[in-house]
Amino acid sequence: MDQYGALVWSLARRLSRTRADAEDATQEIFVDIWRSAARFDPAQGSDKVFIAMIARRRLIDRLRRKSAEPPMDPEEVLESLAWADPGMSSEMCTEAERCAQALKELRPEQREVLELGLLHGLSQSEIAAKLRMPLGTVKSFMRRGLMRLRENMQIDAPGVSAGAR
Amino acid sequence: MSEKTQAPIDEAVLDLLIKQAVEGLEPAEQRALDALDDAQLSGIARELEQAAAAALLVGLDTSEPLPAMLRERIEKAAPAALAGPASTAPATTPTRPAARVRRASAGGGWWAAAACLVLALIGWLRLPSNQSGLVAHLPQTHPQPPQPQTQPQPQAQPPAAETTLEEQRAALLAQTGTVDVPLAGTAEPGAAGVKADVVWNERLQQGVLRVVGLPANDPTVQQYQLWIFDAGRDARYPVDGGVFDIPAGRPTVLIPIRAQLTVHSAAAFAVTVEKPGGVVVSARDHVVALGKIT
Repeated sequence: MDQYGALVWSLARRLSRTRADAEDATQEIFVDIWRSAARFDPAQGSDKVFIAMIARRRLIDRLRRKSAEPPMDPEEVLESLAWADPGMSSEMCTEAERCAQALKELRPEQREVLELGLLHGLSQSEIAAKLRMPLGTVKSFMRRGLMRLRENMQIDAPGVSAGAR
Repeated sequence: MSEKTQAPIDEAVLDLLIKQAVEGLEPAEQRALDALDDAQLSGIARELEQAAAAALLVGLDTSEPLPAMLRERIEKAAPAALAGPASTAPATTPTRPAARVRRASAGGGWWAAAACLVLALIGWLRLPSNQSGLVAHLPQTHPQPPQPQTQPQPQAQPPAAETTLEEQRAALLAQTGTVDVPLAGTAEPGAAGVKADVVWNERLQQGVLRVVGLPANDPTVQQYQLWIFDAGRDARYPVDGGVFDIPAGRPTVLIPIRAQLTVHSAAAFAVTVEKPGGVVVSARDHVVALGKIT
């Protein structure tokens, strides 16, 4: 917890609706991390991305469950932590820095779709409804955007490119 | 990005991979993807999930520390949480492809290690003629007398703090220069199904042995002993990595490695069965696991 406490706490706050949610999520994430620590493979990515993967799974699951609950007091809702300031990404890890660079190169509408999906945990259908955009267009933006992030992270796999339609 | 000449991914499949990474799949979608059973797709799925995770780190402000009260709460709850059954993965969690890759990779590693070590075992079991088997694979050095090692040998650490050792192992794996070496069981009675691996960092001179399936021992009768073959030393006299026990009812045990001498260039690891307290130089009558750094 010394090493990753602030990171997990920040991730939890970023993808939780309230501080109380973030606290519960942080506890669950640490248990997940302890259970999964032995599977960490530095050849496949940094420790911070590994932590973020575990955290994201848990946080998305919690968001889904919470979405079925009644709306909360607006004063309890945490401030949205979007990609407004990607300046610190280079200090975080190489992958985040490359990801930030890729985000800058996306068209605004692609970036918005990605932000709603990745940072706010909305499903593609929910994004389509929120933006009043055809589902096919959301899928296309999401596909191109995420593939671009993946490529910028220099994750290489055959047969796929950001231009895949 | 390098260009490779494999078939493009079908658009519908790619959409499933994207959805899996971003929001998770419905059971029917997951089954459809599972049915493809394609290693390439599994790799892409993992990479997409990594990209989604990295995006979560962009611009993340980590200046606020974990609240002390929350930390205390987590620490108090941790033993019970970890002792209980693993929480089920969310139905929409996109974990399946990456997990499958890991399993396939690990299985292949074990199989390959076992196959590669068959010949090596023959040689090591029949030392001191050291020009065959595993020893023949090690860098040759000038013969040296056994290194001065004093009894009693280091005792096994109690395996109660598995969580801590898991964390130590994970921390070591995150260090530059750490190797993860699979060890295969031998034909020794009870050792055929043994799986083990050693995570070792030369710079830190630290490591963790993870053993699965090794029979429990009676410490008053015999103990297990880990050996580290150092390319910088005479291969006939591997460095003692510590004596340890396997408690009954513990299929998986983690053991901290206590090298008694500085290891300059680890080349292989072996586990033997020895008398209580271990030995300075093993007769190698009972080698139960063996693995080398490739």
